[in-house]
Formats: sequence, structure tokens, C-alpha cells
Amino acid sequence: MNQLKSASQRTPRAGAVSLAIKLVPWLVAFCLPLVVDGNTSGNFAYCLVWAFCAVGLAAMWGYGGILSFGQTAFFGMSGYTYGIVTLNLGESWISSWAGLVVGLLVSVVAAALIGYMIFYGRIKGVFIGIVTLSVTLVLETFMAQTAGPQWAIGAARLNGYNGMGDMPQLTIPWPGGPLTLENASFYYLVLALLFVVYWVTRKMLDGTFGLALVAIRENPQRAEMLGIDIRRHQLLIFVFGCTLGGLSGALYTIWGSYITPSTMGLTSAAMPVIWVATAGRKSIGGAILGTALLVWLSQYLAIYGSQYALILMGAILLIVVLFAPEGLLPFVLKLMRSLATRPQTPRRHGPRDAFEAQKGE
Amino acid sequence: MTTLSLLYSLIYQFGDNFAYLVLAALGLAVIFGMMGVINLAHGEFIMCGAYVTIITAKHGVPLPLAMLLGAVAAAIAGVIIERLVIRHLYDRLFDSVVATWAISLIVQQTMLLVAGPSLEGIGTPFGSFSLGEYSFSTYRAVLPGIALGILFALYWLFFKTNYGVCARATIQNAKIAQCLGLRTDRLYTLTFALGAGLAGLTGALYAPTMTAVPTMGSNFIVQAFVSVVVGGANVIAGTTPAAGILALIQTGLTASYGQLFGQIGLLVTVIVVIRLMPQGLGNLFTRSR
Amino acid sequence: MTTLLETRALTKRFGGAQVINGIDFQVTAGEIRCVIGPNGAGKSTFFKLITGEHRPSEGSVHFLGRDMSHVLPHERIRMGMSIKFQIPGVFPELTVRQHLQLGLHRARDDRPESLDALLQRFMLEQEESVLASNLSHGKKQWLEIAMAVSLGPKLLFLDEPVAGMSVEETHATGELIMRLREAGLTIMVVEHDMTFVKQIASRVSVLHGGRLFADGPLDEILARDDVAEIYLGRKK
Repeated sequence: MNQLKSASQRTPRAGAVSLAIKLVPWLVAFCLPLVVDGNTSGNFAYCLVWAFCAVGLAAMWGYGGILSFGQTAFFGMSGYTYGIVTLNLGESWISSWAGLVVGLLVSVVAAALIGYMIFYGRIKGVFIGIVTLSVTLVLETFMAQTAGPQWAIGAARLNGYNGMGDMPQLTIPWPGGPLTLENASFYYLVLALLFVVYWVTRKMLDGTFGLALVAIRENPQRAEMLGIDIRRHQLLIFVFGCTLGGLSGALYTIWGSYITPSTMGLTSAAMPVIWVATAGRKSIGGAILGTALLVWLSQYLAIYGSQYALILMGAILLIVVLFAPEGLLPFVLKLMRSLATRPQTPRRHGPRDAFEAQKGE
Repeated sequence: MTTLSLLYSLIYQFGDNFAYLVLAALGLAVIFGMMGVINLAHGEFIMCGAYVTIITAKHGVPLPLAMLLGAVAAAIAGVIIERLVIRHLYDRLFDSVVATWAISLIVQQTMLLVAGPSLEGIGTPFGSFSLGEYSFSTYRAVLPGIALGILFALYWLFFKTNYGVCARATIQNAKIAQCLGLRTDRLYTLTFALGAGLAGLTGALYAPTMTAVPTMGSNFIVQAFVSVVVGGANVIAGTTPAAGILALIQTGLTASYGQLFGQIGLLVTVIVVIRLMPQGLGNLFTRSR
Repeated sequence: MTTLLETRALTKRFGGAQVINGIDFQVTAGEIRCVIGPNGAGKSTFFKLITGEHRPSEGSVHFLGRDMSHVLPHERIRMGMSIKFQIPGVFPELTVRQHLQLGLHRARDDRPESLDALLQRFMLEQEESVLASNLSHGKKQWLEIAMAVSLGPKLLFLDEPVAGMSVEETHATGELIMRLREAGLTIMVVEHDMTFVKQIASRVSVLHGGRLFADGPLDEILARDDVAEIYLGRKK
């Protein structure tokens, strides 16, 4: 399945249908808060908050071939930074937005440093995963023992496994007094951000940058001989992907006014991989949809019997890896396509047929 | 006298760290060295060995036998997992990492459900002895010796037995080994079982020293892959000296700055080593099968 | 008569084995230079030293007058080298068009006419939207050459471009390469197929045992007995 579609390939009608299909989920998402209450909107926002992390991983892994176990590390970094900044600067709307921006910057810088070490140090393949996993573990180990009062940055105590909490939420200046973005308003903020991120990511990956990434992934030697600077491309997509992980972290912290080291743990690090592997890592839209659904599913299960949620997640991942390594959505689509194009004429079975069948594979 | 006891205390610490690193790494190294598979479910085999040991010991089985049962149980689990899952993924090594991670998650959470958050341990045997103002656990002082014993046994296995020759041939060139009539698929199953069994043995050996929790594997797995990454997959010539060096670093840092920095020091060492020797360690992974 | 490429005392050792042994070599602008020699003579290594994949143990490579000793492969490509490997190096999941887009973009040429011109020149118009993995062997080779040419290079390296091709495909490829030369490209070719070499070469260099054994115009080299000797059984 060619993941980079050229517009000239599609007929105008097919193009319009495809565009409509792409827009429908956005329209549905836009209308949701109108039909449910504030609390439920807030819950939907929670599901969407994780989508950035998934988009980042899909871009890195599906396009760049970089399997990073470190999304949760940046999640934590940006989340804690938001807490530190807002707990120190106070309740004003400037403080909250500064927290978000600084949180993202922290992820950008950290990702650039780590990425530089990885890609310009010519680390390849699974060892990228190992290094990112080590970073995540270092961070978690470190944060876990910050429970004592001496571990504080300004007015913000890091608090170890007790978690950092009570930080102010995002507010915007408003005629009658600052407006806190929560429930439906927060949901719309997240949705808007998601749309922007989706559009930017698509633009980037559908153009020559994405083309170069696919080339690097499929035949790095040949790509280099085309004049493509592999390390620069990999570093860029890495920083992009990790920063999106950070965005998820900051939004998560804003949503719940709370963050703990367990969001950076080994189990949490598996979650983005599960969502993206299941939804299909080569599809950005699929990653968003799949993540939202899987997060919603785990929340639902958590209400009705939490222990099974993680087992189910693990089982889903295992099944996907074994039987649908391209992802569930692409697998289902392929299945539907093959069912739709079944030949109508009767076949005579003979050695020639078997040979033809084999060639068709 | 106090300097002597201080010195011994450091040696004891070193030995303790060394044993932990080596024992934690063995199973992972064997599987990685043979098949290039990074088995993220390694910790769960350790847990399996520990749980079986504790449960059988509580039912009156003598401790050494209980430990053996723990190792065997883990080995059997290894065979099952290899046949059901891993063998489909030898041409997709990236996916095998993700798959073993999934298995790890499933097993951990299932154990949590089935066995509860913790299992009361069995006491550490042999009591303790003291030197100067420090007191040491006899059992843990002996563990490094046991670890070395296991290493010797592995050396004998890989270099003096038929299995060993076949295994090393397959590691070096699987295709030619097949052409020579070696049943590589059976070899892989056996080796995976060996790796799992070694992990189970580690769990069994440490069972008397800790409370068994379903997530206990996570503690070991960090040490395990630190040793394997630094030392390479060659169990004898790589993992052992790596464990030695790492134990030195860890002991030194812990003595000066505390447990946490010892742990962080290990992880930083991994990153530094990978950065400095990407070719050497990378070659191990890009092996033709 | 500008010298595009020059190697001086180029030497390469792998461990104890001396694979390339003090080669002094020049390529002039506008020629088609064929490098021939028995297997194991070091042709591929020689190529890789020039493109920067291997670093020389001694000696140097000069391109457009500049010393390439500290220039990375992808930078050499930017300077005007372009290579088509021996082993098929297409990107299985990209279409023919996307392959060419990759190269053209590097050359900062995003005009649709350029892409169409390439498709035409390399007889790939029918296969514009076909995935590279679905192309026939011959077309894959042409796609690779097309990709190499799409970069707008000054010097084109072709490592066994007609390996695995039928007689007709080989001849068509030869015609293609000669047209490239007419368009101003300098081309260096490693090949075993002597019919092909005779079709396209202006000058021939013979590599043997890591050394430059002989070097000169096509007829001169082919007439030499010592060349025939080291090359016994290789002539087609």
C-alpha cells in the first residue's frame, strides 16, 4: 500500500469522496460536546490528549523507521515543567501559557540533544530503542525518589511517587475575568491543536521530506547516495515526534492538574507503542483514531474491572504483531479490498494456476 | 580491624552487585546471542522461577529442589512461548521486541490478578555473620560463588558438548549450519528454553532474599539489559567482564552517593557505551540468519 | 580537456589484505570510461573509495580539483557525483515517479517537464505510477540509472548496469548511455560484458590485483595480449 499518494493519481470523484471520508471524523468530533454534558466532554478531551503522543510515534516509527521507547520520557518532562513553571509563576493566564510553551521547549531541547547523540553517533536499529528506553528509565528512577522536601524547584515540590499536583489550568483573558479552559472549552482547544498538528504532519510527510524518510527507511545506503543527509532527517523527525509526546504530557497535566513518575514508567512507555502498532503506524489519521478509541476502551474497562484493561491491551498488541503487523486498520481495509475484488469466473485448477498464484504473491 | 571490615564490606557489595548483574543477564544474553531476539519478557521468566520456588518450598519441598523446579518451570514456559510466538518472528526482529513486551505485560497483569499483589517470601537461609561492625547475609555472600559456578557450567555446555558446537555454529552462520543438516529450529527452541531456564534459576536463587511481587521482573530486567548491551551477547567473554566493570561502577557510586546514583550510573554507562561503540555492538544484531 | 576525477596513489587495506594498491587514475570530462578486470581485482572497492563509502588507507581522491579526503558521501553527491550500485537499490514501496522526484528535488528542479523528460529518456512513461518492486529487472536497472541522472550530476558511476539483462536490453542500455554522454555527462562504468564495453567505451582501464594494469583507448587495450591473458575466458 503506497502511503504517499500523489494527487494526479486520483480521479476528481475519488478525490472528493476520500476528502469527505477524511473530514467526517473531524466533524463528528466537533459536534460531540453539543450533545453531551461538560464532564463527558472533559473525558473525551482526555482521550484526545494522548493522540499527539501517538502521532509523534507514528511519524517517527511508521515513516522514519525509528522505534523510540522514549515518548513517555518527554511526556513526563513537559508535564513536570508545566507544573514547575505554573506553581512558581502563579495563577495568571500568562503563567499557564508560559508553562505550556516552556514545557514544549524543554522537550525540543532534550530531544535535540538526545537525538544528536543517537543519530550523529550512528546508533542504529534496536539500539535506538534501547537508548531511549534507558533515558526513560533514568528519568523515572530519578523522579521516583524525589519525595523528600529538599527536592523542589522554587515553589514546586517534585514529590516522587506522591505526584505533583494542584497546578493551575490554562486560562485565557476574557472580558468578564479570566476564563478557565475546562470541559467543553478545553476539549475544543485540544481538538483545534490536534487538527493543526494533523495538518502540519500530513503536509510534512506527504512532501519530499516524507519521501526522503521513506527512502532512508527502505534503503539507507541508496538514500545517502542520492545526496540525502540521513542523520539530519532522522534528527528532525525525532525532535518533531518527541515534542509531540511532550505536548501530550503538558496537556495531560493541565487536564488533571496532576502528574506522577508512573506516567514515565516501563508500562506507560508501552502504551504509545500499543496504540500505534494496533492502529497502523503508517497512517497518521489512523493513529489518532486508534489512540482515541483504545484510550476510551481502557477507561471504560477501568470502570468495570480495571485489572483486565492492561491484559487486554497486551493481548491486542500480541495479536496485532503476530497477525496484522501493519496495524489493525490497514489489515481490515486490505481484507475488505480483497473481498471486494474476488474473481467471478470459475477457475480450473492446474499446475499453471498454482504457478500464477505464487507469482501473484 | 575496622579497615578490614570496611574493605570486606566493599568486596561484599561488589560481589553482591556482580552476582546480581550476571545472574540477571544470563538468560537474556543467551537468547540475544543465539537468535538476536531481545526478550523483554525475560523478567517474567525470573518471576516464574521465584514464584514456583517459593510455592513449592512452602509445601515442604527442600529448598535446592524447589529452586530446580523453579528453573524447570521457567524453561517449560520458554518452550511454549517460543513455539507459539517467537518462532514466527525470527525474520522480524523489531516485532519480536514488541511481541515479548506484550507477553511481559500480559503475564505481569495476569499474575497480579491471580496471585495478588505480593507473595510472602521464605526466609533467607544460612543466617548472617559479622565482621567488625558490619553484618552480612551468608547467603548473599555465597551467591557470587554460585554465579561463577553457573558460568563455568555454561562454558562447559557451550564448548565441551555437542549442543554447544551446534549452537555456536548456528550463531556464526545459520544458513550453512542448516545445509549441514543441523535442525536449527530445534536448536532455537532449546536455546530459548535454556535462556528462560537460566532466568528462572535467577529468580529461584533470589527468591529467598526478597518478597515476590508480580512486577519483580522489572528490577532485574534493567540490570540484565545493561549488562548485555555493554558486554555484548557473548555470555562468557562479554557479559561476565561487563558485569564486573558495571558492578565496580555501581559499588563505587553507591558507596559515595547512594543507591540511586549507582542505578543511574549504570544506565548512563549503557548510553555512553552504545555511543562509543555502535559498530561493535551493532554488528551483533545485524547477523545473517 | 578538464580532469573531472583524479586519484593519486590510492591504496586500501582491509586488515592484512591490500585490496587497492597505489592507483593513479584520471577521468576527463565528456568521456565514457569503462573499468574492466577479473573478479576480485578490486573494482567495487575502487568505486567505494571514490564515492566515500570507504576511507583510503593511503593516497587521495580529487574531484573537480578538490581533495575529497574529508568530504562525506552525501556531500560528494551534492558536488556532482552520482552512482548506480551493482545491487538493485530501488525503494520497493515508492513509485517510479516518486523515485525521480527524490533526485530532482535534490537538484532543486521541481518542474514537471524535467520529470517527464526523464521518464521519456529512460523509456519508463508507461510505468510512471508503478511501484518499484513490481518492475521487471531491466526496468529496475533503468530506473536506477534514471534516479542517478535525476540528480543532475557531472560524473555518473555505473556499477554493472547491464547485469542480468537480455541482449536486446543490453544494447538499448548502451544506446541510452551514449545519448547521456551526448547530453554532456561524463560516465564511468564497471562491466564484465565485453560486447557492451565495445559498444560504449571511449577509454578502457584494466584493474588487476588492486593495481591499474592498463589504461588507454578501447582498440589499443583490446589488442593487447597481456590483457587477454589476465582476462582469459571473460570475453563475450
